[in-house]
Amino acid sequence: MLEIKNLHARIVDDGTEIIRGLNLTVRAGEVAAIMGPNGSGKSTLSYILAGREDYEVTEGDILYNGQSILEMDPAERATAGIFLAFQYPMEIPGVATMEFLKVAMNEQRKARGQEPLKIPEFLKRVKEAAASLNMDMTMLKRPLNVGFSGGEKKRAEILQMKLLEPKLCVLDETDSGLDIDALKIVADGVNTLRSPDRAIVVITHYQRLLQYIVPDTVHVLYRGQVIKSGDKSLALDLEANGYAGVIGQAA
Amino acid sequence: MPAVQETIDRVRKIDVDQYKYGFQTEIAMDKAPKGLSEDIIRFISAKKDEPSWMLEWRLEAYRRWVTLDEPKWARVHYPKIDFQDLYYYAAPKSTPGPTSLSDVDPELLKVYEKLGIPLREQEILAGVQKTDASELEEASDNVYKSGRVAVDAVFDSVSVVTTFKKELAQAGVIFCSISEAIREHPELVKKYLGSVVPTSDNFYATLNSAVFTDGSFVFVPKGVRCPMELSTYFRMNEKNTGQFERTLIIAEEGAYVSYLEGCTAPQRDENQLHAAVVELIALDDAEIKYSTVQNWYPGDAEGKGGIYNFVTKRGDCRGHRSKISWTQVETGSAITWKYPSCILRGDDSSGEFYSIAVSNGYQQVDSGTKMIHLGRNTSSRIISKGIAAGFSQNTYRGQVSAHRKATNARNFTNCDSLLIGDQCGAHTVPYMEAKNSTAQFEHEATTSKISEDQKFYVMQRGIPEEEAIALIVNGFVKDVIQQLPMEFAVEAQKLIGISLEGSVG
Amino acid sequence: MNMHATPQRTLAETALIDAFGERLSLLPGDGAVMLKRDDAIEAIKSGLPTRRIESWHYTDLRRLLTSVPDFDPAAVAKAIAPIVEGSSVLPVLNGVSSAKWAAVEGVTVQRLSEKLTDGSIAPGLDSYGSDDAIGALNTAFVADGYFIDIADGAQLDKPLELQNLQAGGQTHVRLAIRVGAGANAVIVERQAGEGAALVSSVSQLLLGEGAEVTWLVVQEQPDTATHLAQFKAHLGKNSKLTLFVMNAGGKLVRQEVVVKTTGEGADFTLRGINLLAGDTHTDVTMVLDHAVPHTASTEVIRNVVTGRARGVFQGRINVHQYAQKTNAKMACNTLLLSDDGEFSTKPELEIFADDVVCGHGATVTEIDHSHLFYLMARGIDEKTARGLLVKAFVAEVIEELDDEAIVEALEARLDNWFVAHG
Repeated sequence: MLEIKNLHARIVDDGTEIIRGLNLTVRAGEVAAIMGPNGSGKSTLSYILAGREDYEVTEGDILYNGQSILEMDPAERATAGIFLAFQYPMEIPGVATMEFLKVAMNEQRKARGQEPLKIPEFLKRVKEAAASLNMDMTMLKRPLNVGFSGGEKKRAEILQMKLLEPKLCVLDETDSGLDIDALKIVADGVNTLRSPDRAIVVITHYQRLLQYIVPDTVHVLYRGQVIKSGDKSLALDLEANGYAGVIGQAA
Repeated sequence: MPAVQETIDRVRKIDVDQYKYGFQTEIAMDKAPKGLSEDIIRFISAKKDEPSWMLEWRLEAYRRWVTLDEPKWARVHYPKIDFQDLYYYAAPKSTPGPTSLSDVDPELLKVYEKLGIPLREQEILAGVQKTDASELEEASDNVYKSGRVAVDAVFDSVSVVTTFKKELAQAGVIFCSISEAIREHPELVKKYLGSVVPTSDNFYATLNSAVFTDGSFVFVPKGVRCPMELSTYFRMNEKNTGQFERTLIIAEEGAYVSYLEGCTAPQRDENQLHAAVVELIALDDAEIKYSTVQNWYPGDAEGKGGIYNFVTKRGDCRGHRSKISWTQVETGSAITWKYPSCILRGDDSSGEFYSIAVSNGYQQVDSGTKMIHLGRNTSSRIISKGIAAGFSQNTYRGQVSAHRKATNARNFTNCDSLLIGDQCGAHTVPYMEAKNSTAQFEHEATTSKISEDQKFYVMQRGIPEEEAIALIVNGFVKDVIQQLPMEFAVEAQKLIGISLEGSVG
Repeated sequence: MNMHATPQRTLAETALIDAFGERLSLLPGDGAVMLKRDDAIEAIKSGLPTRRIESWHYTDLRRLLTSVPDFDPAAVAKAIAPIVEGSSVLPVLNGVSSAKWAAVEGVTVQRLSEKLTDGSIAPGLDSYGSDDAIGALNTAFVADGYFIDIADGAQLDKPLELQNLQAGGQTHVRLAIRVGAGANAVIVERQAGEGAALVSSVSQLLLGEGAEVTWLVVQEQPDTATHLAQFKAHLGKNSKLTLFVMNAGGKLVRQEVVVKTTGEGADFTLRGINLLAGDTHTDVTMVLDHAVPHTASTEVIRNVVTGRARGVFQGRINVHQYAQKTNAKMACNTLLLSDDGEFSTKPELEIFADDVVCGHGATVTEIDHSHLFYLMARGIDEKTARGLLVKAFVAEVIEELDDEAIVEALEARLDNWFVAHG
């Protein structure tokens, strides 16, 4: 589903190269964990997948279902089924969460040539998704992410993911700032989305989240490259021995 | 960066040209000769069949005006106006004054139809009451009951029609053109006209006092809650003609009224002058809510043409516990010079100012408010949202003052500006003056552009750039939109979108 | 109504114009300097600013400056100890600089009178706008001061204290300082004295690339003096200026702060305290120009108003069209403790660049009653509790300076004021 080939990318503003020849393949139905120390390029990778303009791809390619997505803007990528759960979800003052969900769902439907959702159907879907995440409907009347606690923001991200039904989910440090109860709820939300036609990329610094979202593959990112890949045992190994060993082997 | 270039390109082809209301109407007009003199004022007064005291009032203002200079302190630049090169009176020939709807020239009715006054109001204007609730629900996601709206329609210098007069009269409410009020209710006009904005107030107010032609008059007697929204649509049509409307609204003890004005003008290469005066008087426990959707012609993409809008609006909270609330959505005019203000004279009175000012192309906006705290326990609230795009300049200018006797005066001010593109300017000039130790003033202001982070986040959910920006801008102005009567909130939101077209993508 | 009567000159205007005629032969300066003086007095002849001049809206100098004292060359100004012990002191006594001073490594000092006489300062007497009455007054009459050069890379381990001490009469002083690239210094500007003087004082600061300066203005004139001051600075690339202004005296005070960021990465901080008492008028007016991209500024002004004092803060932040990525924040908080006092504030933003984050906040309040209640609930009497809260309100700004010797010195000045006006 996702194929990243020899990707090089830099920050547009100052030319700093962050991704330096990264290769990664994620298949449909797979949950891939990307781990790595701070500054290894994990978040940058998620932004580049979603099409942020602050980064420029200088070499290599990103194929999504066999097609390059480099020329697509963020909205086009989202409509094609790529969803990024942000590490720091943005606050959008004055725009009720509900209103935002409706616009997002209907814009995606429009781009796919579907009719907009009827209000009752929309409400039904939102209510179901919110209930599964233990979210209060009154929260959805508030402006998007404004005044939400860290945990509420992360739940709102997963809620959007559920409603938009993407094919490729990228979760950027979704565990940061969550207490254990919230973490379980969020992980459950993600697990219900596991399906043979959907791929999930979990970016995380710690192994903790992977206890709840068990990955099929684990990739270690360091200095903008995948330096080691393995199965879930690799995550446990990193937890026990730190990154130093793996980095040492690669160097 | 391609995105920046794209924005610049878009700003370059700003669509202010595509002003929706730019048509003009060929209607036989009765005009005064060009220029301004005592004779012209006599002509206007005679045309309106005014009593002699009114003529004297006008002449006094005129004699004062010739000694005054135009104010220079606002951040607006324009070539000197030749006040002798204007027409000061123009009226459709077929309509000598306010009449019943059936007497109105059908051409005129077509104008109001074309103005995009929403379907509901058109029908109401035609005396048809809309009852189909399902259609209303479709018009907006917000379910609301259809409030009926009484309309006073002013075409250049005269009021052509006022609807629902009879029904309002039953409630004791007087709603008519100011010309009619001068003839029919001289005692009220004499008592209140110029009592908030004196004839000597400022250059444009003084000019208005001398030459004002029409406008609305509202009187809500003691204890009456006006049974419907009142509204005036101003339309400037005739070339080289200034529009000088005068509006006077009085809410007696315990009365309530909500009033809305809308304005449009044809697209012309020449600049046209509009200098209005609005006076509001709220007695004990009265409340006046005044909303404006101003969409005069802003000029073309090169800044040619457009309305010069020099307006004096002031409310006097004369009674205890009275309340005056101004809400404005300013999207039109080449130049806007306008500071709807509140004099908080009565104890426990309160004033509000909610504003959205959108500027694009070469528009210049210098607008804000004054909250003058004189009585005890008075409070005021100012929320101003400025959005500057294209080559426009957008200034918030406001004054809050608490006088010695205004114990426990409270003010909260928030003015935020949003810049779209790097050729425009946003300016904030607040004056705060406290002369009382129990006064509490809080002021906050921010200026920024639409955050790239926000835009990226919204687009990541599949919302295209244009929509993403519109969504964020609408969120930005939400606090003010909420203050508008529901019927006009949707219209205002659309208008903001149209005004920013081409600059936001 | 075509006649425009020339407004009659005020006593003060007449006195200044006459004084210029009398002083002219005694004023140092070559031809270029004298030409500047002539221009300056012409500006004064056209009248002192009134409230109709926007930047003087709250300080009608023409009305407030009711009299002008004569020059008094014989008067003797008393020397005072520097606020931080061990500082290098450069005094200007009754308008006259000192001929000798203890050498400081990396610092070259010249008397301004010499720079005026040889004309080398002439370009520095820059032209002033129509509302620049202080600049004009100073240029017309300035006779002395210092010209100081801090060498590239110099690291001053002790503060440099510049004292302008008046002894009545008129004093017009200019302090011009260039700080070289990478240099580091703390400079204290003391403004004090004992007479009913008219003081004009202009400080000019040029910061080289990467230079870091903390500049403290400590103004403690007696409540008989008129103090008209200007601080002007240009901030070079990656330079950093922290300006602290404390007004704790004077009858009629106007302190203008005019700062321009001219190099990318420059950073400006203004911290101000205005302690106002008696029947006095104090005005701090700042104009800050962000002229290049990637610069930052923050301003925090705290005011305490007692008695019949009137206070003014005007702050204008101009962000020029090319000054993208500017980050500017300004706050002005006032405690109005008297019903006879007043405070007016005008925080302005003038923004011509879009990629910026700018904001300002302003409050006028009385003491927070819940805080007062809390302290009183702990057994502190109301007067003491109020005193503690008011002091804490301004002391916060000082503590931020993060240099123990300076914080202590300024708190001592603060205590001094509270003892006198408590």
